[in-house]
This record gives sequence, structure tokens and C-alpha cells, in this order.
Amino acid sequence: MQGAEMAAPSAGERRYTVGYLTRVEGEGSLLLRVRDGDVLEARFKIFEAPRYFEQLVVGRTPDEVIDIVARICGICPVAYQMSAVHAFEDCFGVAIEPAVRTLRRLLYCGEWIESHALHIYLLHAPDFLGYPSALAMAADHRDVVARGLAIKKLGNEILEVLGGRAIHPVSVRVGGFSRVPRRAELEALRPALDDAVRMARDTIDFVTGLDAPEFDRPMRYVALRHASEYPFNDGRIVSSDGIDVAPTRWDDAFVEVQVEGTNALHARTAGEHQVYLVGPAARVALAGDRLHPLAAAALADTGLVERVRSNIYWSIAARAVELLHALAEARDIIDAYRPPAAPRVAWEPSPGRAAWATEAPRGLLFHRYEVDAQGLIAAAQIVPPTSQNQGAIEADLVAFAPRVLALPHDEAQHRIEQLVRSYDPCISCATHFLDLQIEEVP
Amino acid sequence: MPVPPGVATSGPASTVVPGASGRWFLARPNLQLLVDQLRADGRTVIAPTLADGAIVYDEITSIAELPGGWTDAQAPGSYRLAPRDDGRLFHYTVGPTSWKRWTFPPRVPMIDGRRDGAAVTFEPGRELPTRLAFLGVRACELAALRIQDRVLVGGPYVDGDYQSRRASALVIAVECSTASSTCFCTSMGTGPEVHDGHDLVLTELDEGFLVRAGSMAGSALLARLPLTVASVEEIYAAREQVAAVAAAIGDPVPTTGLHDRLLAQVDSPRWDRVAERCLTCTSCTMVCPTCFCTSVVQRSDLDGTASTGERVWDSCFSLGFAKVAGGNFRSRPRDRYRQWLTHKFATWIDQFESFGCVGCGRCITWCPVGIDVREELMAIAPPLELGVEPAPAAPVAASPSEYRVGRVRSVRHETADTTTLVIGDLDPAFLAGHPGQFAMVDLPAFPSLPISISRYRPDAIELTIRAAGPASTALTRLKPGAELGMRGPLGSSWPLERAAGRDVIIVTGGIGLAPLRPLIDAIMAQRRRFGDVRIYYGARTPHDLLYADEIEELTQRPDIELGVTVDRAGPEWLGRVGVVTQLFDQAQWDGSGAVAFVCGPERMMQVTVGVLAAHGITSDRVYVTLERHMQCGIGLCGHCQMGKYFICRDGPVFSLASLGGIFGREGV
Amino acid sequence: MVVSTTPARLRLGIVKFASCDGCQLSLLDLEDELLDVAERFEVVEFAEASSLRSRGPYDVLLVEGSISTADQAAEIIELREQARLLLTIGACANAGGIQALRNWTSEQAFRAAVYPSPDYIDSLATATPVSEHVTVDASLPGCPISGGQLREVLASIAIGRRPQIREESVCVECKRRGTPCILVSSGVPCLGPVTQAGCGAICPAFGRGCYACFGPKEAANTASLGDAFVGAGRAPTEVGRLFAGFTAYAEPFRTQVTERRGLERSAPFGRPSVLPVGAVPPVADVMRGAGTAGGPADPAAPITPAGRSKAGGTRARRRAGDPDARR
Repeated sequence: MQGAEMAAPSAGERRYTVGYLTRVEGEGSLLLRVRDGDVLEARFKIFEAPRYFEQLVVGRTPDEVIDIVARICGICPVAYQMSAVHAFEDCFGVAIEPAVRTLRRLLYCGEWIESHALHIYLLHAPDFLGYPSALAMAADHRDVVARGLAIKKLGNEILEVLGGRAIHPVSVRVGGFSRVPRRAELEALRPALDDAVRMARDTIDFVTGLDAPEFDRPMRYVALRHASEYPFNDGRIVSSDGIDVAPTRWDDAFVEVQVEGTNALHARTAGEHQVYLVGPAARVALAGDRLHPLAAAALADTGLVERVRSNIYWSIAARAVELLHALAEARDIIDAYRPPAAPRVAWEPSPGRAAWATEAPRGLLFHRYEVDAQGLIAAAQIVPPTSQNQGAIEADLVAFAPRVLALPHDEAQHRIEQLVRSYDPCISCATHFLDLQIEEVP
Repeated sequence: MPVPPGVATSGPASTVVPGASGRWFLARPNLQLLVDQLRADGRTVIAPTLADGAIVYDEITSIAELPGGWTDAQAPGSYRLAPRDDGRLFHYTVGPTSWKRWTFPPRVPMIDGRRDGAAVTFEPGRELPTRLAFLGVRACELAALRIQDRVLVGGPYVDGDYQSRRASALVIAVECSTASSTCFCTSMGTGPEVHDGHDLVLTELDEGFLVRAGSMAGSALLARLPLTVASVEEIYAAREQVAAVAAAIGDPVPTTGLHDRLLAQVDSPRWDRVAERCLTCTSCTMVCPTCFCTSVVQRSDLDGTASTGERVWDSCFSLGFAKVAGGNFRSRPRDRYRQWLTHKFATWIDQFESFGCVGCGRCITWCPVGIDVREELMAIAPPLELGVEPAPAAPVAASPSEYRVGRVRSVRHETADTTTLVIGDLDPAFLAGHPGQFAMVDLPAFPSLPISISRYRPDAIELTIRAAGPASTALTRLKPGAELGMRGPLGSSWPLERAAGRDVIIVTGGIGLAPLRPLIDAIMAQRRRFGDVRIYYGARTPHDLLYADEIEELTQRPDIELGVTVDRAGPEWLGRVGVVTQLFDQAQWDGSGAVAFVCGPERMMQVTVGVLAAHGITSDRVYVTLERHMQCGIGLCGHCQMGKYFICRDGPVFSLASLGGIFGREGV
Repeated sequence: MVVSTTPARLRLGIVKFASCDGCQLSLLDLEDELLDVAERFEVVEFAEASSLRSRGPYDVLLVEGSISTADQAAEIIELREQARLLLTIGACANAGGIQALRNWTSEQAFRAAVYPSPDYIDSLATATPVSEHVTVDASLPGCPISGGQLREVLASIAIGRRPQIREESVCVECKRRGTPCILVSSGVPCLGPVTQAGCGAICPAFGRGCYACFGPKEAANTASLGDAFVGAGRAPTEVGRLFAGFTAYAEPFRTQVTERRGLERSAPFGRPSVLPVGAVPPVADVMRGAGTAGGPADPAAPITPAGRSKAGGTRARRRAGDPDARR
């Protein structure tokens, strides 16, 4: 791996290394140098190989870009397609039909359901219950794991009906969809949806009963906020401390930074270069009043509203609440569905800046493209949610690490991994992979 | 004993039904009542519908779901729908789906197997078929059902699944009112008239349908519909409509003797040529209504204790189809294409007493690169009758006491001494000439000259004239609008049909290219009927090259080889220098099946035929055109005699073999 | 006494190189059948889903992702030695994936265009298929792979029969499905005739042409199909770009991309607005003394140990030679 080597440990320093972080998406590592309970340095080493997506899209058409950027992530391909397609439609002045807009929300619901269920049950819950994996957890809690898989399956089915397949859907096009479903195809999902809503409530109960460490750290949150909807594809970018910009102007308020020793780019606020957090906790904090009534009620019942705002371990509860929201909204959409007059509208490219932000399952996802006179992409900038969270992850680790240094090393590593997993990092997205190394310097 | 193609010799017997010969008329809106009756009988009605840019068979409940007011335009590799302004419900031909989808579905569970320790059990995976009615079955599709009946039910082993599905489907045929450019049911003897295999047959007219029953079930259905007796006008209108369709199709694929002809071509180089285009994508076999190849796929649990075998459509074009442990009998695309074509048009007869093809044209339309089986058959195994040249057009004004007037439309000076005149406003007989023929051309006060017709256009001909003497010079000086007199077209022509399916070599020098130009036009117009095409053209200097821009265009084409050379040239010439035979005397191609056409100065032709012989082109496959002093052009003045031939009447095109020793001999 | 007749579980590993994770996710997407798989196979290495790690040996090793760094090139060789059966899954492992498009151009230029301080990035000039580095026993195509085919391969290995992965074109799947050919009926460019089946012919059923996620089928006659597109009026570079997708680097697609110059528009441009290394202070400095994000929690606050700690202590590092590795 490239990157300047960390300074050789001096007396009194400890370094903690957590091997290849598991049960997150992608490949990375974190190295902490600690002395006397103080963290001297925290460095992420992302060794997920860079795939250079911002270059791969150069010279391609907008519809090709939609197919290509999906491959940034296998868990959240729809998010990349949504940010891209809205960026192009905004730049070209394409007005989509309201029914198409609604179908895109339904598509995003499908992905949130699949991604949140995956994270809660397969990636994160084992930490809380003390298992190395959901597969091991299933030996003792088969019904819990089966429930998670069933919810995830329904999310995938929504994606399949709308997009052809769950991983890298095929039907998202500039101007709409290449095909829209018949009523009967969506209605076929209804019985399973009712079951899933019920299972989502069970999930919230399950999550509420988990044991999470005390770790209250108020954070700067950033998310989309919309006049009436829980945010998916629309809304202004707002923060908990006063940022408020249009979804096309992320780069007025934020900036990307290259950090030594990592293949990934970080994001900070412009100006002060502060870290911030995106994702379910941020959305619940900033747009919680827009949740579906069922989800809002469930959140209130948990009594965890404040915890979610201040303790990242409780992001699992935010995620569970959003799971219920997505299922409830999906059900409402399907009940009211009337196919649009045409699956997509005709459009012409025009040169210029195409930019947009949408809410991926893991948080705000911003795309910016320069479109040339031929209607082909000349340059691209893609800022995934995990990039934006990296600074916050590091800051939390710096703050958290001293508390576990007294524990046995393996236990400390496990605790730190659990913290990292609370962010649900999606590392392939930003060529990120979290692998925590806490180097103990004797 | 020859069996008429397309007619099965076994299959469900048709019963003589009282009143079955009756012709009835059903008003258009009442077709809905037919659908209602079928559904009241518990049948699902499958009929043409519009979906995804094509007309596909699917379930309907109302005639409003039929593609009324639509028609199709089909060509190799292309299918488009177009709206019509009448209310016809069936004015199109067949689409990508066939009734095979219901009688022989793409996926059928065959068998469930279980393994319990040492014991095994098997349960057939039979699906109970639903009662169906097929509405809109074309004559070619009836033939396809007959053929699949023969294959799947008419042999020693019966496919029970097909049999029960077939028995559960009522067949309501529709006679075609239009044909697509890809149809050839007439050649395969399967349509467009409907003769049997149907329970009911409808012929759509403007006001409604002529209806006939073909079975007891059909008659019983008719009894429940509000019919009137068909009038004589309606009967004739229906007959004429179908006859017009047959006439529009013609007979694109003469099938007499096709079985033997095709099997004799097992080693034809044409298979390699079609393999260059064929994608082995299997689309042709998948859309074919008679293809029946399948595979059984196993799906089991992780322990192998419970499994289901599912029969799925497969194709001889897929690689795995002929695979065995350790090898594959038919891995090359060329072999796979040959297997399909020879099965469909030859060995099927040996197996099932009929052709496997019904002429529906689907394989032509739905081939992504537009391979046309009609073309391939004609190129690989051309019918023997076509070896005879089409009868030459009768010349007009044959006698030297008559001339027909034509007008110069435009003039093109090809070189310093050669000019091409485009002659229009002329007797249409000139337009019906053949490549290689000439006209006797006359200006008052000048002797008439034999001039090769160097191009046939739809409404004009071209004459290319070298100013060698006063008469020819006068012709080259004509301006647009000037008139001249012509007699013809006269003489023999290049035997293009002898070259069908073969490689073609054209060697020409100087103005000899002029009589060959219409031959090159004819070859290019049907390029795929021929094998490799090689043209070698020589001129004295670059300034003597004729039709320079056309030569340039031909050079760009990837599907012919064109070599140009000059005897001498200045530094501005970047091409070959040398005599024309030097373009190919060292070439590696093998002429053992090729046909050669040669025209140029006699000396050049003599050297050329020697080089051609060295490449394996024997004298019976070399054609030359000779020049002699002609006056009457009709063999009555004696000037052009050479040996036993009058060049103007027996030639000017001759096979080298027929000339024998007189070719190239001085003083004959 | 009951003697168990359950056969010993095969050791299954799933590893990843440069990829999006979608192919591994296909295994998790088997949903109901996932737990059956976990009963028949002992999942010893699956970093995305399990903290249990193993450096081998493996009876079956599924490999996702292309080889894009020097470390990866070394690691795949180690893994090959540990695997009895090595299967590559997905377009990245089989053909280099979409990132293999950089093989046609200068990776240096790519890296400099994305990262303002490119020296800190480790990557190879090329993104290559696994088969260019080690022998591969079998491969599953797709982007992503088909869950059904994955299941079939695992079942076949468990049972001891040949996997029934049909070698046929996407056209076969379209026709079985009843989808009218989109290429013929609307002129939409579709690579189905030259693409290996496995996806179920999704794209034509959804109104768009196949873009060859599953890679070239056997005897793929791309020259003929490409010529047909050109004959229908498409510019040659546009046809070349059609083949420049997720399996572009596999032959004969690769030749079509090169010969028809499908990538001639993709010269790298500079990446907009990224600050280089050192332009902002590291986080630890930011945190020290910063008040906005709150101070560190009380170091004395008790941490409840986990009820059941993760099994095994081996946090095996996959990077040989990493000075930070703990074995």
C-alpha cells in the first residue's frame, strides 16, 4: 500500500490494529496510535482498489452512465441511478410524469428495504447478540434471521418488478423507465407487503431491546429535507447547523479532500472543513417529521428519539424505523398505482452542468457531471455517503477508542468494529473498506 | 413416389360433416359472439394482440383486443407495425410467436424424482392442459400443426403432453388477405388457401367474415352464431382475395428435387459464407413453428434427494446441443447451419414424409442479421431449370429497313476518345435486354454501328462508344436532346444463371468493360446469389479507365475483389502497372467451380483464358464476347461470319468450349 | 447409538477483489435457500457477512472482482494454492469488469484525473480477469451473476454432478419467455445474439436492448452483428462503444472495441474541485479542543462486554508483508 508510513512508535505509544473489517461492504482499515489513553493519530487506509468510475463515464451517453454508475455498489445501485438520472433531467429540462416520479420513490423504497434489512439483520445485529455472523446467529435464532431475509426478499421483489432485477436494475432511463409495470404485477406483492410491515414492527421491537453502549456525541447532521415527503429524490440539502442549499449545489457547501494513505476521498464542510454525518440517523434527526405516520408512531413508541440523535450505536433503530417507513410507503404507492401514460418522455441532451443529490440508504449521495456539446459526459464527480461519513467515523473512533483500551485486545477490536458498523459503511462505493487497526505501541 | 410438399400423410382424420361445405357469412361485430361462445364453453381464447411493437398471440376476452387497423411490414431482419385506416382485424401475417407456444410450451415439467437412501421413486410431472381456442390460425400454421402432429404423435412413440394439449385446442383458421415480403407458403405448398386441419375457417371481407366449418365441433359452434348464407359475391370476393395473395408471393423457392439437390451440396463452400454471417443465436429455430428440439434440465435440492426434470426448448444451433463427454459433434457454426437447413428441407422428408418448413418466413424476419433461407437455398442448391437462360427479349425493329428513334438524355465523356450516351424516350423493348446484348445504332448518312448496351436503367439505356472512325466519332459528338436510330436489343447475352451459387471471375480490358458493365450491375443487385466475385480490369493508361467513379465505389465494397492495372503510367498513378493478367496470374484462388466472363482485345482474351485454365477454369465455364464487322446485326448479310457462327446472331457472347479451335485463330 | 450420516460439510470461502460486491450479494439474495447452503457448506471465509476468517484451505473458493493492485496479484496466487476448486463469479473476475476499460488507455492519466495527489494511490495499470493470473476451475458469468446459477453450481459440487449451465445465447431466453425481438421490431441495438444466457433475458422484456452483462457466448459472431448495426446506419465508433461495457475486455468484444474505436471519446479530464493531501488538518487535530462535535465521553464509563465474543482470535491479515499484520 502506498502512503507515507505512520511515524515509528515512540515510548508509551500503543497502536491498535483491527484486521480487515468484516461485515461491512468493501475493503479498508483503520489505524490508531494511542498513548496514555490519548489518541495521537487516526488514519483510514482504504485498500479497496480504485475503479475510477469518474473516468469510466467520460465519453458515454447519459443512459449509459446510468448503467455504469450502478456498478459502483451492488447493495445500493438504485441510489447511483437516481442521483445520475435526476442530475441529467435537471440539466436537460426534462419533466417526468408524476406517476413516474412516484414509481421512482417506489424503486427507492425497494432498495432501502433490501439494504436496511441486510444491514440490520446480516451485518449489524450479530454484533449486538455476540455472533460472528448471521449464519452463526441462525443456529440459535433461526426465526430472527429468517425474518430479516424475508424482509430483504420483499425489497428485492419490488426492485425486480420495477427494474428487472434487484442488483443493477435495467429500466431506469432519462425521462422515465424503459418499461412500467402493469397494476397486476404490483398488486401481486401486496400480501407479502402486509406481512413485511408486520415484520418491520417486530424489527423495531427487536432493535429496541438490544444493548448498546453509552456513547453520546452530538453530531452535525446533513440530509435532504422536503416540504412534505420523507426524502428520497427531492429536497434541499440541509444541516443541523444552518446549511441550506439546493440539491444541485452540494459543492457550494461541501468540499472533497484527499487524505494520505487511503484510496478514498473524504468530504468536509466548505470553509471550516468540519466533519459531518449523513444517513438514517441524520434523516430522522432532520426530517423525522416527514416520516410515514406508522413509522413516526413506532419511533415515538421506542422512546429512542433522542438517543438516535446523539448515539451512533442507535442508528440501527433509525434504520429500523426507516425500514417500516419504506414498507408503509411502498404499500400506499402500490394501492394507488395507475400506470403513467407513457413509460418515459422524449428528451434531448444539452451541454452544461448536471448535478443532483438523493438519499441513498446510507445517506446523501451527490453526482455532478459536465455534459459536452455532443451530449456526452466530459467530467464527473461522485460523492458517496460513506465518503462523507469518513471524517465522522474517524472523529468517533478518536473519541471512543480510549474507553476500550483497558479491555482485552480482541474485545477492544470487536467493540471498535461494532462502532464502525453502526455507520453502515459501503466501501466499494468510494473505494472504501474499513479495516480498523489500532496499533499498540508499547 | 413423390409426396406433395407440405402435406402430411398422417394426422388427425377429418370427418365428412353434413353442411360442412356450406359457406356462411358473419357480420364483423358478431365475431365477439364467437369469442363469447368459446369462453362459455370453458375455453381460453388465444388470438393475435398488440404487444411490445409486434403482433403476438395472447389471451383475449374481447375482439377489441385484436390488432384492428394495424398491419405489418416484414423484411429480412426487420419487422414494423403500421396503422391502417380500415377496420380490418386480421390484415397482417404472422408474428414472432407461433401456436407452438401452447401446444409445445417452452417449459414443461416432465418428472419428479426422489432418492431415499438406496430407493428411488419417479412421478410424472404432467400439467393438465386448459381448454383453449386458437383464433386466427393461418394456412401455413395449420400445416405446421400437421407437421408437429406427425413428428410428435404420428410415429411409433407419442409425446403425451403434446397430444393432450393439441386435443384441448379448437382451431379457428383465418385465410390471409395480405402477404409479407418474407412469405413463401406457395413454394412449400401450404397456403394461402386453407383446406383442412381447421375446425372453422374465416375469410375476412370488409363487412365481415366468410365462414366454413371443417369439423363436427366447428359445425356445432356455427349453429350458435347469427349467420347468413354467403352470397355469390361474397364467396368470389373471398376467393379473389386469397388468389391475389398467392399471386403476390409467386414461387420464390422452386422445391422440385430440392431434397436431392440440397443433400448433394454437403461440401458446398457456400456454407462457410453463410457461417460468416450467422450468429448461431438460435432465433430462427425458436420462432419456427415446426422445430421440436428440446433438452431436459434438472433442478434439485442441495443433497440431490429431490429433483424436478423440466423439458425446455433447445436448438441445434446451441453449442451444447451435440456435446458428449469428451467432445462435440457439431461445434462449428457452419456445421450447425448446415444441419438446420438440410434437416428442414431434405432429411425431414426422409423422417416424416414432408418438408419441415411451411414457408411462414419467420426465420427470415426474425434473424438479427437478415439471413434469408430462400436466398441460401437458391445459392446452395439452385434448381436445375434455372440453368436454362431466360428467353431473350424480342428485338424491336430487327430489320435494317427500320429504326426506332431514341433521344440523348445526357452525355458523359469517359476518356479522350470514349463517350457514354444515356438514351431515353425509347422503345421499352430496349429496356428488356440482357447484359451483353447490343444495339445497331444509326445516324442518317453514316453506316450503322453495333454498340454494346453498357447499362440498363428503368427508363433509359447507356451506350458507351469509342470514337474509332467517322461514324463512331459522330455519335460521340451528339449533344443532349439529339436523336438517333436504334435496332435491337440483339445478340446473345452473358449467361448469369450459370454462375448462380458459384465464384465469378470477370476479366476485361479497355472498352471491353462496357458490355460487362450490365453483368456487373446484375451481379451486384443480387450479390448473395453468387460466391466470391473477382473483377480484373486493365487499360492502356490511367486516362483510359472507363467509369472511374464507379470503379472507385466498387473498390470500396468489402464483398468483391477488384483489381485495376494500366499498361503504362506517369508518377501520379499509385496503382498497378502491367497487363491485366498480371493481376491474378499469381493469385491463390481455386477456380475449379468458378465461371469466368472475359471481354477485351482478342490478344488479351487469348492470354487471359490461358491463365484462367491454369487456375482450374475449364473452357465450358469461360464466356467471351467477340467482335466482327457487323452490318445487319441479324445474320443475313454475311459480314460477321466466323466459322459456323454468325457473331451477331449466335453471339457475340460464346462459351469458349463452343468456339473450340477457332478462338484466337488467325484468318477465320 | 445413532451414527450421523450427514456428509462432512465442504469448506466454502468467498473473497473479493476490485468489484461492487453485487456478486457476493447474489449469494445472500438466495434468501430462503441461503440457510440451506450454510448447512451443506461450512462458510469459513466471507468477509462481507461473517467475522470468521480463514486463510484456507478451501474446498470451494468463490472469487469476485478484478485484479487491480500489486497486492491483489500476489494474493490471488496464495489463494489459488489454498483452494481445491476456484470459481470466478461475475464480470469483474471473469473479464475485468467495467473498470477494465482503463486497459485501453493510460492508467496514469486516469489516476491523476481522479486523485490530485496520485502518488498515494496504489493501483496497477490494468484491471485484469483472475484467469490471467491463476488457473480457474470454473466461472459463472454475469453482472451480477444469476442466483439460480450459483445455486446450481453449489448443488452440483455438493452432489457431484456436472453443473447445468446452458451455453446458449440470450435470444434463447427471450424466445422461451415470449418477448418479441427488440432488435428486429424496433431497431434498438441489442447484444443478445452474441451474449451468454443466464439473466433470463431481462432487458428486452423491459423494453431496452441487452448490454452483455454475461459476456460473449461461445462462437460469438460479433463481426457480423457489428456489421449489421453499421449497415443499419450506426456510426462505427458508436457500435464499438456498444461492446465497451461490463465485459468489454473479453474476446471477441475486445477486438470490436479496439477495431471500431469505441473508446476514442474517453480521454481523461481533470477531476473537479478536490483538495489535495494536506489541505485540511487531520481529524484528530480537529477533534482536540474542538467544541462543535462535543468532547470525548467519560473514559471511566463502563463498557459491557459482549455476551458471547466472536469465535476464534485469528484476525488473519490478507496482506503478506504488511508490517502492521498480526498473525
